[in-house]
Amino acid sequence: MLTRRAAGKLIAGAAASTTLAGAGFRSALAANKVIKIGITLPLTGADAEGANRIKYGALLAIKQANDSNAVKGYTLVPVILNNATTTAGQYDPAQAATNARKLVADPEVMTAIGPEMSGDGKAMSAIYSEANIATITPASTNPDITNPKYASEYRPAHDHAAVYFRTVATDAYQGPYMANYYSDVLKVKTVYLLDDSGAYGVGLADAFEGQAKAKGMKVLGRDRLNPTEADYTVSLTKIKGLNPDGLYYGGVMGAGAKLVKQAYGILPTAMVKGGGDGLLAPEMLTAVGFPAAEGWYCTIAAPHLTQNPKVQPFVKLYESTYHTQPDDYAVTAYDAGLVITAALASLVNAGKPITRANVREAIQTSKTPTLQGVVSFDQNGDIVNKIISVFQVVKNTDYPLTDIIHQFKYIGTAPTS
Amino acid sequence: MSPTTLFVQQLINGLSLGGMYALLALGFTLIYGILELINFAHFSVFLVGSFIGMWTLEAFGLSGQNVIMTGLPLIGVLLAAFVVSMFSCGVLGVVIERYSLRPLRNVTGPMAMITTIGVSYILFNIILLGAGADTKNFPNPLPELRFHILGAVLDVRVLLIWVVSGSLMLGLWFFVQRSRLGKAMRATAQDPDAARMMGVDVDRVILIAFFAGSALAGAAGLIFGLYYNFTSYIIGYTAGLRAFTAAVLGGIGNVPGAMLGGLIIGLIESLGGQYVAVKWTDVIIFSILVLVLVFRPTGLLGTLAPQKS
Repeated sequence: MLTRRAAGKLIAGAAASTTLAGAGFRSALAANKVIKIGITLPLTGADAEGANRIKYGALLAIKQANDSNAVKGYTLVPVILNNATTTAGQYDPAQAATNARKLVADPEVMTAIGPEMSGDGKAMSAIYSEANIATITPASTNPDITNPKYASEYRPAHDHAAVYFRTVATDAYQGPYMANYYSDVLKVKTVYLLDDSGAYGVGLADAFEGQAKAKGMKVLGRDRLNPTEADYTVSLTKIKGLNPDGLYYGGVMGAGAKLVKQAYGILPTAMVKGGGDGLLAPEMLTAVGFPAAEGWYCTIAAPHLTQNPKVQPFVKLYESTYHTQPDDYAVTAYDAGLVITAALASLVNAGKPITRANVREAIQTSKTPTLQGVVSFDQNGDIVNKIISVFQVVKNTDYPLTDIIHQFKYIGTAPTS
Repeated sequence: MSPTTLFVQQLINGLSLGGMYALLALGFTLIYGILELINFAHFSVFLVGSFIGMWTLEAFGLSGQNVIMTGLPLIGVLLAAFVVSMFSCGVLGVVIERYSLRPLRNVTGPMAMITTIGVSYILFNIILLGAGADTKNFPNPLPELRFHILGAVLDVRVLLIWVVSGSLMLGLWFFVQRSRLGKAMRATAQDPDAARMMGVDVDRVILIAFFAGSALAGAAGLIFGLYYNFTSYIIGYTAGLRAFTAAVLGGIGNVPGAMLGGLIIGLIESLGGQYVAVKWTDVIIFSILVLVLVFRPTGLLGTLAPQKS
């Protein structure tokens, strides 16, 4: 918490310097050398809204670094590349790989922020590794990319040094931490597990199951839903017959929308029902809607900060600069920008040359105060202080019923053990 | 829940599934009976039916489960939705027959069947690209009304499925068995050349079979939406395949066989899911299909087609 307060001051200071900077720094900046920072996001198509929020978070950090001359003698220049294509209609890993190569080819690019999507990350990580460029993702949570087991695939070069850093936790923590939450906070003693047959869903449910057993919860059963199947009433009736205290679903909205929809009316309201970040999606409100969605829990692999009082100076500055609301991944993107700024500043202050390898090393060893607290990384690039935030769908009639920010109520962070 | 309650509840679930499968299976069986053609476009006609049903209900100002109706307005809206989606699907079936299948009528081999797969993909992709890949919230004006039988819950939507699919099947049965056109259909199924010599307009009979089968798929699509409160571009494949299996199980070409097959598949799905595991559903269904076909190659109620060359 101390660190958040420090971060608050940092913001306030930076905001003040933004107004003070003005003409005084302009002439100095003109003589500065340039450090380019890649920003790779799916800026058009289905993912555009979230991607632009992330972009603004990163840009705000870079703007503040320039305004306050945080990296002395250098101007930070963002290089924004779109990872989405019209053929995909959304993020496109092939385009992401092309963008990574573009950044690698530009000798002034020292580091990057992004991508948003794990699919893009899988396509980009090895390319960055060859060039020894570090990227910091503010949003992608697939654990494989940073898992040492797959090091030869995602970071083949330079002794498997980490190049894919995260300012968010991974899916590997959503399941176990939520099991803690079920056990410790919701007092669930017996649980039934479902997954949607996909890699993400099965992994999430496996991780939940392991920790649930460790916590002494009784797993009454586990079944697998076929996402192309329409009818889940059979599964749900079976679960109703077993009458567990809680139900945990690992999966995305494909099967999830049908599950949540059909669970309403079959499972008792008192039963605890939840899943991972697959359920924290617009479809939960558009395709499922109320009353069926009411009461379901879900998580994200990041801290929830946009409603945190200490982060309000950031929120206000963000809104006044970009005329839109930040979401939590805008905050983690801003944090990524702070980490990069601090790493570059430390190199300059130590008199070391700005090279890709040095920047990577500086990020690897950094301990940066950010909005979410002190951010540091392990040898794989994963954030050390992992936070899983718990949300619950609670109808809020003050806002539109499809408003994803207000219909998912923030409950708190999930216990880490 | 006691074991009895659970059993009754899964029985109810299974009969609802079975009703839907049976309606779809009838479309396969009608067309196969007359043309000896497996019409894979039927999968997508069902899909289109559920979207047309959704758009019709939305045209009445319904969205999601927010608007609940009762009495005459409810019956009126439902009736309109059924008429619109059944008629549109019927016309769609006729168009498919007239423009993609009739030109291939005298071509032997699997050409016609491959064409139906192609048509199925065209329709599927039109829906996917036109309406998007996200799951749609199907408007449902039915009140939340529940009855209890031995502790099991019987939802009013389940009753709707039973009543609608039951009466449509009964209607079709009478149509095929009692009407002049039905007689012409049966004659064409038995021997198209002889039927033509006796003055039956075979082309018209085939069109009517497509219209009726596709209209039933349209009704099934709407029922699907009302029962599950959702629709999506993906629903055609799994339901269609199960229904096709039901038609084969009952004896393809045989109308009561399709109904029986549908009910059996629905019950296997629910009771298998309860007493084995849901993930094994497909394995159980298709194992039973294989077993039945090994011992009764014509299906449960099917007989060998007498004079087909």
